[in-house]
Amino acid sequence: MKPTLMRYVRRSYLLFGALMLVNVLLAQRSISGTVTDAETGEPLIGASVLAQGTTTGTVTDFDGTYTLDVPEGATVLEFSYTGYTALEVNIGTDNQVDAALTAGTALDEVVVVGYGTVKKSDLTGAVTNVTSEDFNRGVITSPEELIQGKAAGVRITTASGEPGAGVDIRIRGTSSVRGGNNPLFVVDGVPLSGDNTSAAGNSEGAGSSAPKNPLNFLNPSDIVSIDILKDASATAIYGSRGANGVVIITTKGGTEGKGVLDYDVSIGASSISNRYDLLSTGDFLQAYTDFNGAAAAQTLNLGADTDWQDVLFRTGITQSHNLSYGGGDESGSYRFSVSYMDQEGIIEESALERITARFNGNRKFLDDKLTLSAQFTVAHTHDDNVPNTTNSGFRGDLIGNIIKANPTQPVYNPDGSFYQTTIVEPNPLAFVRLTEMFTNTIRGLGNLSAEYKLTPGLSFKTVLGFDRSFSNRNDALSRDLVVGNVEDIGRLTINDLETSNKLWESYFTYNTDFGNVAFTGLLGYSYQEFQYGGKSIQYSQFRTSDLNQMINNVTAAETSLGTSSFKTIDELQSFFGRLNFDVAGKYLFTGTLRADGSTKFGSGNKYGYFPSFAVKWRMIQESFVPDVFSDLGLRLGWGLTGNQEIPHNLYTQRERYGNFDIGDNGTDINGGGLSTVAFANPDLKWESTAQYNVGLDFGFNNNRVSGSIDYYYKNTNDLLIQVTAAQPAVQPFIWTNLDADVINKGIEVAMNFVLADKSKFDWSISANAAFNDNVVENCNCLINTGAINGQGLTGAFAQRIADNQPLFAYFLRVFGGFDSEGNSIYPEGDVQQFTGDSPLPTVNAGLSSSMRFGNFDFNFFFNGQFGHTIYSNTANAYFTAGSLANGRNVTRDVVGNGEGRLNAPDVSTRFLEKGDFVRLQNVSLGYNVPVQNSNVFSRLRLYLTGQNLFVITGYSGQDPEVNTSKPINGVPSFGIDFTTYPRARTFTLGANVSF
Amino acid sequence: MKQRKNRKINSLLGLILSLALFAACTDLTVQEIDSTIVESTEGAATGDPTELLSSAYQDLGTFTDQANIYALGVHPTDEMLPPTRGVDWGDNGVWRTLHAHTWDATHSWILNAWNQLNSRAFKCNQILASNPNSLQAAEAKFLRALYMSYVVDYWGQVPFREANEGADVDPRVMTRTEAFDFIIKDLTEALPDLPATGPSASNPTASKAAANLLLTRMYLNKAVYTASDATGPYSFDAADMNRVIEAADAITADGYALEPNYFDNWTGDAASEVILSTSEGSPQNRWMMTLHYSQNPSGWNGFTTLADFYAKFEDGDQRKGSPAKVDGSEFSGIGLGFLIGQQYDDDGNEVIDSRSQQPLVFTPDVPLAGAATEKGIRAIKYHPATANDYILMRYGEALMNKAEAIMRGGNSSESAVDIINMIREARGAAPVASLGEMDMLDERGRELYWEGFRRSDQIRFGTFTMTWDEKTTTEAHRVLYPIPQQALDSNPNLAQNPGY
Repeated sequence: MKPTLMRYVRRSYLLFGALMLVNVLLAQRSISGTVTDAETGEPLIGASVLAQGTTTGTVTDFDGTYTLDVPEGATVLEFSYTGYTALEVNIGTDNQVDAALTAGTALDEVVVVGYGTVKKSDLTGAVTNVTSEDFNRGVITSPEELIQGKAAGVRITTASGEPGAGVDIRIRGTSSVRGGNNPLFVVDGVPLSGDNTSAAGNSEGAGSSAPKNPLNFLNPSDIVSIDILKDASATAIYGSRGANGVVIITTKGGTEGKGVLDYDVSIGASSISNRYDLLSTGDFLQAYTDFNGAAAAQTLNLGADTDWQDVLFRTGITQSHNLSYGGGDESGSYRFSVSYMDQEGIIEESALERITARFNGNRKFLDDKLTLSAQFTVAHTHDDNVPNTTNSGFRGDLIGNIIKANPTQPVYNPDGSFYQTTIVEPNPLAFVRLTEMFTNTIRGLGNLSAEYKLTPGLSFKTVLGFDRSFSNRNDALSRDLVVGNVEDIGRLTINDLETSNKLWESYFTYNTDFGNVAFTGLLGYSYQEFQYGGKSIQYSQFRTSDLNQMINNVTAAETSLGTSSFKTIDELQSFFGRLNFDVAGKYLFTGTLRADGSTKFGSGNKYGYFPSFAVKWRMIQESFVPDVFSDLGLRLGWGLTGNQEIPHNLYTQRERYGNFDIGDNGTDINGGGLSTVAFANPDLKWESTAQYNVGLDFGFNNNRVSGSIDYYYKNTNDLLIQVTAAQPAVQPFIWTNLDADVINKGIEVAMNFVLADKSKFDWSISANAAFNDNVVENCNCLINTGAINGQGLTGAFAQRIADNQPLFAYFLRVFGGFDSEGNSIYPEGDVQQFTGDSPLPTVNAGLSSSMRFGNFDFNFFFNGQFGHTIYSNTANAYFTAGSLANGRNVTRDVVGNGEGRLNAPDVSTRFLEKGDFVRLQNVSLGYNVPVQNSNVFSRLRLYLTGQNLFVITGYSGQDPEVNTSKPINGVPSFGIDFTTYPRARTFTLGANVSF
Repeated sequence: MKQRKNRKINSLLGLILSLALFAACTDLTVQEIDSTIVESTEGAATGDPTELLSSAYQDLGTFTDQANIYALGVHPTDEMLPPTRGVDWGDNGVWRTLHAHTWDATHSWILNAWNQLNSRAFKCNQILASNPNSLQAAEAKFLRALYMSYVVDYWGQVPFREANEGADVDPRVMTRTEAFDFIIKDLTEALPDLPATGPSASNPTASKAAANLLLTRMYLNKAVYTASDATGPYSFDAADMNRVIEAADAITADGYALEPNYFDNWTGDAASEVILSTSEGSPQNRWMMTLHYSQNPSGWNGFTTLADFYAKFEDGDQRKGSPAKVDGSEFSGIGLGFLIGQQYDDDGNEVIDSRSQQPLVFTPDVPLAGAATEKGIRAIKYHPATANDYILMRYGEALMNKAEAIMRGGNSSESAVDIINMIREARGAAPVASLGEMDMLDERGRELYWEGFRRSDQIRFGTFTMTWDEKTTTEAHRVLYPIPQQALDSNPNLAQNPGY
């Protein structure tokens, strides 16, 4: 009979949580003992000991011993240790309770799949599970960075080194030819929409910049595990959104036991990892003299000696604080967390500040039949942006001007104002100081669920979810800034973006056994509504130079038109089911079917049906398998998934009033006319991807060596893409289902080696590699993309999508050096052609090592990408003799390369380079301070982490991991580098403290 | 007891759940809250003709672009050259290939122009299907004829889509002759309902004069547009020439006359020549595309004329230009007409090229590739200090068309020489005693340079396939542009033009 007060307290946790944590002292006795490894007999440090049914627990010390004051009434002690099978021991009357734990096999890990979990050994599909112990460390802004390089076949590319930059994830290659190529993200059961939550930037006169990563609102410290569903048999349960894979993020809940207060703090310092090798002032003047003569050089020389990289690049300091409190008992748990992060970018004035709060809780009612759960998070993100754009012209954006600025130009005038020459050559420091660009984003995500056990085998769960975001972006450029379209008039663009995603889904789960056949069934319904809207206003002709006043007193602008707004609503309605059979623990069968209906398609094509089948033969259960194996299983799967990531309603003829646009001079206003925005396009339908998968899981010697090999073949057809409309048409482009095949096939290998697992020394290494081959077949198409910008490069492009080529294949002139005049030679003609090069890596690999020696732990992690090429738009636009002859700084290799001052640097293989690289991504050294005698701390870990310590690459640009967004007519590009925000090397010092 | 209670709860829950699930189902009807759905039935649509017409007039701004439609009309000719200047203006070869007549079906300006012209023509179909009043219908027909006239001229075949045809319909394609007849029919039907508007510095809507001017263009070129072989020879029919003269005379009757001061045509002071203009787009493209960076305004240092073309102008001809005022006022360092030799800033100081740090002296010689920044003579019709609307049609062209029609056999009380001398007198040039065919082409060049028509003039006069500076290709089939490759892929009814 438990005390009523205790029961009351525990039941109130869900509502009152930490506030109600009261240490109820009752009659108790002291029990002590030692926890050891059953095999080796060595003590286990830090193992958990809990009196069952209470919140009383502790952890073992350096010698594996513990002492616990057990409340009266407790009869069982629970011992648990990561990687070991938990053990329950009756207390009896003895005050000494020892426990010998057996190293558990990885097979018992639980993996989250859509609408449920399965044991890892029962998985029939290709799923990679990465838990928090294996996450990347250091300054981590977004959840994707946690698993970069950790999962075979998952290529994660951050677009640049900018704090909060967008991230591209490609699971098993690139299969679509438009923006929606990222996987579906599901956070605690709520599928997110793929929309951006913050607007793109408009640096008037210098181009536009890509939106920030919408997942930055998730605090990486709140995440406990990330599961990546790769093959169609795993993703088909998400039907129309499963073709690019599914990433399931699970956030931390409270763990059973007494309440624990955790505080994580870190401070990091970042600096540019690799500078541009620009000419010094003296060398610059000499090289210019060689082209234009001494007299001209004298006029060009403005007398100063400025290293613009020194002026603009800085050491960015990042501080991060996470505070969480959580606990629970057998009928519920709770966790609260708050976090603050302030990350300075390595360019002056750029930064990201984020505040998050989260509550996760669950509680069982009605004799444990009903479980109520809730997960809520809200985050405020403040991005300080700089005028770094993806498509600047010959005048250049911030990075372009850091590169090209005349090194003889002073930064300041004697009176302290900025030394500015012409709009063609902006002063880079003025560019950041006379602009104010920031985005505030508030995003809330949450869900409430109720699960009721109708019978022991049958349960019903219903989930209400919401995801709502508001963002406001301001881009103000002062009239004092000498930049095109800005000088003397000033510019302000305000962009508001609002998203709303509501979810209601319900499903039944049924478990039963027929003899030696175990059956699990799932049947459900899901409804999701997505709203996406925004407003944009442009102002010009300012009467003030004060940036704050420009933003907060917009009537200071004499021209205030150029307003536009939009809002769309889309719905997705789905019915889904899954059957699992387990025959004698040897033969596992999974079949799924999802029917998705979407408002993105017209009548007749609203519904798509996405089935999958998979089998697994657990050969380890067969007698013929030699004893050396500790695991052996063969998986086979097939599935059909879809894609619906296209803009709203492309099938009904509609009319809208066009946007206004302010001209370059700030006064002309054009546009606003009524236009038809879409055709009647009744045949538009889902893009579909069929995928086959064969996988082998194996383990030797009690899984000291374990791994898996997967082969997959993915064929995407009915490609949703914008193509040239058959004129006359309402718009130049029309969305269609292109009758072509995009084929991705490849092999993934993941291996894990346990090299030592002694109590005071353990060491494991895991490695993964993925080989992917991509080709477009049966395509009667000619689609250009990869816009190349810069001086003399209007309309230039570098990539073309066509038959029998990989996606985004390079389409370039073949460069053959310079003639005696210094002009480019194109031996195969002054025409573009396929060069056989692809920006898509054919091999992605990761290697991580995790070592613990007593209280020290040491981890490192390499990753690499191979087999691809990078087109340097930066070199094309800036590192040429003509640019130098025009008085712009260049990299050292330009001088004496044989190029003449009047040569036109057309798009060619001259600017194409191998992109292969190996990066030491992460090194971390930690020390667990012995705290067993402390009354304050239950855990104290100190660590030092280095990120991006070195890169081995032949690429001459700032960093080979790069992907500037260079689309043409909505068709994305890949692997082009243009004035990319540089990548940093970061050192972080931190502490994890538990109370 | 407890079990029964549970069963009750279970059935109750089951009932609630089933009801809720059933009620939740949606028929997925799309909701539109930021646009209007157009219900189209047989040949008619529910658009708003007033708003669509206003939008169609805004679309005229596309002609002010220096690329695309305009570029196709002037760069492959003997009046304009787009040099690649070191790192400037390479632009993937789009300019060089136009001037050198080496373009192919993937040329991006050819695709863009095709898309712009045809989609604008389609908007007119939508207006006509939206129950317009008679004036709106006449304006839409005029605009449709204007856009289609360019398609006829550039490509020789014209795709056509009815207003209610969706993405599942491949547009039918009219032959050049069919399209010519279609345009004439549109203009003929529109004329009675269009207003008889006189000259004005800003003349932004369709008038009888505008429709008549388009008629003069069409009939003057009818021999080209209806020839069995697009490459010629072209035989001009006197009856067609009479139609040109008739239409030109109708314009005169509406009160149009030559502007006493030639360059006033491109200012707010224009009083007597402007027939159709637009305030949409950016007339500043016309000076930005030619002025040097170091001038004020700082241009893009692009296009030049050719030395041989400049040589066609005599001193005293207003059209050759006048030097900059350099009185210290904004932009007074920029002259009118051709800019050659040393350039000065607003205060009369020599302009120094900010890149080479040498005095900025425009020279007549200019190579197509590897040109230094100062190479080539520039031309200014729209002056940054005085520019107003962009001029799409003016009376000078009507008179030139009439004179040519008389030369080609049309009946008139005036002779071609009389009209040309009237123009020359107004422009300050000496009268001529006689007029050969090439003299007529030269005179058109002097009167209409850089206004966008040189290509069709050179085709009509048979000089388009000859050679000039930096143009050596003489392939006859280049009198038509290729159908863009993407357009061919999009519509099986289109066939590539011969030779491509």
